[in-house]
Amino acid sequence: MKERLSAVLADLSQSGVEYADIRVHDIVEEAISTENREVQDLSTSRSYGYGIRVFADGALGFAASQEFDRIGETAERAVEIARATRPVQRKPVQLDRKEAIVDHYSTPIEIDPFEIPREEKLQLLFAAEERMHESATLLRTEGNMNFRREEKIFADTDGSYITQLLYESGGGISAYAASEGDMQQRSYPSSFRGNHATAGYEFVRDLYLVENAARTAEEAAALIEAEECPSGYFDVVIDSSQLTLQIHESVGHPVELDRVMGYEAGMAGESFLDPGMIDFQYGSEHVNIVADATIPGGLGTFGYDDEGVPAQRVDIVREGRFRNFLTSRDTAPEVGQISNGTSRADGWGRIPIVRMTNINLLPGDASFAELIGGIECGLYLQSNKSWSIDDRRLNFQFACEIAYEIREGQLTGKIFKNPIYTGITPEFWRSCDAVGDESQWQMFGTPNCGKGEPMQVAHVGHGSSPSRFRHVKVGVSDVE
Amino acid sequence: MLSKEEAYDLVDHILSEAEGYTARVLVMSEAEGLTRYANSGIHQNVFEDTTRITITISGEDRRSRVSTTTCDREGLRAAVADAIENLEYLPHGEKQPPPVRGVAPISLDRYDEDLERAFDVHQRADHLKRAFGSLADGYRAYGQLSHAENRISFGNSAGVRHFARSNGVKLSSLIASDAGGSGYAAETSERAGEADIPAAFSRAYEKARLNRDQEEIEPGRHTVILEPLAVGNILAFMSFIGFSAKAVQNQLSFLTGREDEQVFDERITIVDDHTDENTASLPFDFEGYPRQKLTLVDSGISRDFAYDAATAEADGVPSTGHSVDMPQRGAIPLHLVMEAGDTSTEEMIADTEDGLLVTRFHYMNVVNPREAQLTGLTRDGVFRIRDGEIDGAVKNMRFTDSVLRALNSVAAISSERQRTPGFFGNFYVPAMKIEDFHFTGKTDA
Repeated sequence: MKERLSAVLADLSQSGVEYADIRVHDIVEEAISTENREVQDLSTSRSYGYGIRVFADGALGFAASQEFDRIGETAERAVEIARATRPVQRKPVQLDRKEAIVDHYSTPIEIDPFEIPREEKLQLLFAAEERMHESATLLRTEGNMNFRREEKIFADTDGSYITQLLYESGGGISAYAASEGDMQQRSYPSSFRGNHATAGYEFVRDLYLVENAARTAEEAAALIEAEECPSGYFDVVIDSSQLTLQIHESVGHPVELDRVMGYEAGMAGESFLDPGMIDFQYGSEHVNIVADATIPGGLGTFGYDDEGVPAQRVDIVREGRFRNFLTSRDTAPEVGQISNGTSRADGWGRIPIVRMTNINLLPGDASFAELIGGIECGLYLQSNKSWSIDDRRLNFQFACEIAYEIREGQLTGKIFKNPIYTGITPEFWRSCDAVGDESQWQMFGTPNCGKGEPMQVAHVGHGSSPSRFRHVKVGVSDVE
Repeated sequence: MLSKEEAYDLVDHILSEAEGYTARVLVMSEAEGLTRYANSGIHQNVFEDTTRITITISGEDRRSRVSTTTCDREGLRAAVADAIENLEYLPHGEKQPPPVRGVAPISLDRYDEDLERAFDVHQRADHLKRAFGSLADGYRAYGQLSHAENRISFGNSAGVRHFARSNGVKLSSLIASDAGGSGYAAETSERAGEADIPAAFSRAYEKARLNRDQEEIEPGRHTVILEPLAVGNILAFMSFIGFSAKAVQNQLSFLTGREDEQVFDERITIVDDHTDENTASLPFDFEGYPRQKLTLVDSGISRDFAYDAATAEADGVPSTGHSVDMPQRGAIPLHLVMEAGDTSTEEMIADTEDGLLVTRFHYMNVVNPREAQLTGLTRDGVFRIRDGEIDGAVKNMRFTDSVLRALNSVAAISSERQRTPGFFGNFYVPAMKIEDFHFTGKTDA
């Protein structure tokens, strides 16, 4: 393959293009889902092809195909697209400098998930579902597992040749209870198919799905009997299982430099940030956030991005102050920088764009008892159920699966159903007055981050500890 | 891309490899050229040619699925072997529905060569260059213009064969003013000469021009006139969470237990009709069943639901031909058409003493599926209506409201309808005037 790609790149160089790269992706995925102790789906998929990106006369062209015997035609098409683009650009694209790298990276794993018999995986899900049904009266239970192996080659006209072997594993369970007119759910370890990581089967084994099934089921049933969450302003502690989406939507997306430049304005929207807002008071002094593509196990962890730039750890917010955008080779020069290695494509057919890696809220120093203890009357919110945010990433609203009542610094044992909270991004992060310590810090993988046209689905991660926020608007029923 | 004959040859080959099993094969090909633009310049310009083959093998009480982009004989042999191996791993479970059989072959070719020529990569650049030049100083364009050809072939071990080929153009155009405020228009077309790019840019520009000096108003209950794009946004969620038999079986649908009841205002009629010329037809589903027309809501009464083979088996009814090959989700209606009313949008505005005209919604999501409670934000133009006239722009707001409630507070439905982007093709919907629409937050976006 290396010789073949080198030959195509050499032809492109000779044809006068300033720069070209080729990515080959071979992605194998396995999806298992069960419902009420029956197999709902067992599927495997393979996606194998290549994408060629060309810069000619300062313009970008990209073409992708799965037909390797037509790679020369695909390269010519990419050049034709670049040349058609040139007369309708505002200005020539400028790529930052980067070194030529020849290297290989593999996700460190203990157990290859594709070596584990599917029967064993199914039995684990069935056992967890069985435990849920034994523990409560439920309408329905679900189990999920997903595994992914991606072999990638990146080669460019600068002389880089990078191979990567990336693994992902994940899973989770959900319990649904119903009564006439109501349906409630609880999920473990997180909603929307559970938790995912760059890891082997050991990650799923260590989720302890069966051991957590009873509590999940019991809470789903209890929610049917629970009161509606009250509306008003409350101090809240937000668990990592929800804080993940909060970080994703209100920090991860607004700091993407392509959004700031308007590249996504026609689709997903822009950002309230602009390049002049470095040092902006994004949050309180307790808020320290990094983009870290190097952390072991994060779903956004890799060796190199899809422009051949090494994975990095970058400050996004330090002691509440905004520090850096997420950048790519074509966007970083706009702010006088070089790429911090976040440009990724969701497969061979799509062009790399700025994506989150692992956007992590660093741990603070509060124990869980201290977080709760500092609240006179409030709520502890867990597990995302719904999300929405405006096109500049300011007004957000999240629904959670459950709210636990806090009174006089203690969890009372009372729960509420259908909690919703809403706010404005900087005001919300400035209201954070405590972040949980390292012992509570946990990473969640989000395997469904949509962006771009054609739509691309990125796999990203978020680490956090439960954190406390003051005077947060909860519920909408009191808005008249 | 594979021709019909090549695709059928491939289907036959796969089925021969799976001899002795109940099997079906879906071959989906797409060649899409997509040009994105921002700040009135092209910034991404891409082409992707992909063919994906999905093979489903069934036993009496189990089923497995494999998909691959590797279409050579060796790759397909490996895929079939993988599917059979998966099947053997599976425990015995629910009885599998039988394959579709005895239906006449469907062959639909709506491909328009002139359309492809009119929107190749060079023509797309020319269209956009002219459109950018039509904007006044201080206004910039953002969006995408694309052409895609799709071919879908289906075959199964019961001898059923179907083929559909089509192409289409999509435009989204967001025009933003440097002084703040934006407008938006979308256009889809399956025939050369239909897509009017300058007209779409002009609509978006006019919106942007009006959408300035926005007034901030307080959340609460307001009379709204939802333009067709906003109505299409709501209908997409209704289809996803409400009109699927699977959602009813799982008690997730807001129509659970309300079949044949009056659930909406009697002026609401919604059908799923792939034969409507505005919806871009896909005449069979991903299990090979011919797609049936569904009357989802008939004068406000909940009627039909969308079935795939598995959910139909569970309810003891025939499939309606709405499988999207997502067993966890069940069937989804893709070609929604809402009946028009008898009032023009202009008349609706003229009849409104105090209300808001909404262009479209952004980032909607389901808050509570059983109550059809949705949330989302207005985008690209909200305008205050006072005493029957548009009286300035309003800042964007968040709504959180139940569709069950909103569609029982309908004041008027427009006589004109518009194509809006759907899941696979288009919806065809009117504008709607709704009383007491619940806005729950405001934003500077």
